[in-house]
Amino acid sequence: MHSPFTNFAAALVLALSATAFAINVEAAASDPILAGFAESAKASTPGFTGFSAERGKRLFLSKQTSGKPETPSCTTCHGNSPQSRGQTRADKPIEPMALSHTPNRYSDPKKVAKWFRRNCKSVLGRECTALEKGDFITFMATQ
Amino acid sequence: MPDGLKPATGTKGATRVWDLPTRIFHWSLVALIATGLLSGYFAPAWWLDIHSWAGYGIAGLIIFRLVWAVFGFEYSRFSNFTYAPGETLRHLRSFLRRQPGHYTGHNPLGAMMVFALIAVISGIVVSGLVSLGGKEDQGPLATVASYSVGKTADDIHEILAGILVGLIGLHIGGVLVESILSRENLVRSMISGWKTRLSSREPAAPRPARPRAALAVFAVAALLIGSAFTVLAGLPATGLTTAAAHPAFEAECSDCHQLYHPSLLPAASWRDMMASLDQHFGEDASLDDGDRTSITGHLVKHAAGHWDSKAAHKFRTISEQEPWQISATPGWKRIHKEIPEADFKRPKVKSKSNCLGCHSDAASGRFHNQNIRLPKE
Ligand code: HEC
Ligand code: HEC
Ligand code: HEC
Repeated sequence: MHSPFTNFAAALVLALSATAFAINVEAAASDPILAGFAESAKASTPGFTGFSAERGKRLFLSKQTSGKPETPSCTTCHGNSPQSRGQTRADKPIEPMALSHTPNRYSDPKKVAKWFRRNCKSVLGRECTALEKGDFITFMATQ
Repeated sequence: MPDGLKPATGTKGATRVWDLPTRIFHWSLVALIATGLLSGYFAPAWWLDIHSWAGYGIAGLIIFRLVWAVFGFEYSRFSNFTYAPGETLRHLRSFLRRQPGHYTGHNPLGAMMVFALIAVISGIVVSGLVSLGGKEDQGPLATVASYSVGKTADDIHEILAGILVGLIGLHIGGVLVESILSRENLVRSMISGWKTRLSSREPAAPRPARPRAALAVFAVAALLIGSAFTVLAGLPATGLTTAAAHPAFEAECSDCHQLYHPSLLPAASWRDMMASLDQHFGEDASLDDGDRTSITGHLVKHAAGHWDSKAAHKFRTISEQEPWQISATPGWKRIHKEIPEADFKRPKVKSKSNCLGCHSDAASGRFHNQNIRLPKE
């Protein structure tokens, strides 16, 4: 049996994800790069309903074993939080990935494509999917 | 009386032998030669300015002395102490018997030392200037002296400096021995200008100094040399040409590290590196084809073989194992072998690849000695 509390919690989760989805759709509409990823994601992912900041966060923080041993995670170079500065392996500082900290991020399609290609290959050993890219940017946009 | 005998004059039976300009010349030369030798042998590379300014000072002193050799007071004139070989030999024999003949000014052995010192020091100044221009791409000859000429001049500069150290030892030894044998403190004479023990062969009428004529000749010489240097400085440079700006190279190759100057590796290394950017020092640095082609063209066009600078010469022989790494070339390792590993680990440096951490002009490819700083933290 559902207690009033679990009912309430479920309703809350539903309401929250609905809002999150709304935000995503809105962002996708106003951001051509994200809109492009959404387009490809829809084509390649059955049941695609929108990008998830939560999945983006997991991609950012997770440790991988399929890529280069020197770069097990996005955090190897980008620092442990989206708000912190990172550092390349040659010790050059990298500005925070959170859009609120570095507002000009994710705006140049060429740059975004280049770094996703390089960094996903280094960390995951393969290119990222459109879904992963969209999730990542969505997560950074909420930070 | 035999020719030219003249009684001693001056206070306490002494006579003035060394005029003031000659004495100032002598002791300034001592100070500048000491500066030059100490900075050359012992100072870190970034003291090059002190070394070369000592050299310019010495050049000025030598030119002055050559003018004063004609217009100075009797005993400063070269003609006063230019002796025939026979007389020099006779003096040497008497010296070895410890009964040297007495001379008021320079005796034949002393005269030989003066000429030898002036010749060797002049050689050092000229070879230093050529080396500075050819090897370091600095100074008035930077635009005319090639790297290889500069390198040869640098070898000569070092050999002459060694000879100079030997001559200085002999000179000091000779002065001390002569002071004892002649019972005259020659060092004090070079300070006060006076000598008490005079020769029987004193010239009858010591020729007076002609300071105004000397000044005029010195001024003309300075003007000529100054304008020659100005003209030379205006010629097209031999060493560092400048590479045209290349925005794609500057942006794409400075994302992960400082920009390395194209002159630091040979064309073959750049070509290979650019053909496998996805395997770039353990990292994926891949570019789209347009950027890759254009950046490769820029690097190859300005690769080490196209430059006559020091760095381009030192690193053009690459390491077999790591053909893309400047810091692995035999030349790089040789130059940096005396730097303790700990200096490369300091927070402001962090790695051998961080040239900019110690060379503030790394971006230009110059690597001038004056721009080296070893961070203390
Ligand atoms: C080897 C170091 C390294 C790793 C690991 C790394 N990155 Fe990056 N990343 C960089 C550098 C360097 C930049 C460019 C610097 C900048 O934009 O400030 C960059 C830029 C980016 C950009 C472009 C940002 C913009 O401004 O458009 C994205 C997107 C990105 N990284 C995603 C990732 C993701 C996702 C991962 C993990 C799968 C990751 N990175 C792992 C070094 C790294
Ligand atoms: C994705 C990051 C990245 C990009 C982009 C990149 N590099 Fe590198 N590069 C590295 C790393 C990491 C090293 C190794 C540094 C170390 O050993 O400390 C390196 C080393 C080098 C070295 C050797 C330095 C030495 O120690 O002698 C050269 C030369 C070089 N890179 C040239 C380039 C050029 C040219 C480009 C532009 C086409 C470029 N790099 C772009 C990451 C990058
Ligand atoms: C830890 C500091 C440090 C780093 C990092 C460093 N250097 Fe040096 N470098 C020096 C010092 C100190 C000297 C002077 C050595 C001497 O002459 O005794 C020097 C000398 C040189 C010279 C020759 C200067 C001369 O006139 O003899 C060149 C060229 C040079 N470095 C290039 C490089 C390059 C290229 C890099 C990067 C790949 C680099 N250095 C990295 C400290 C450093």
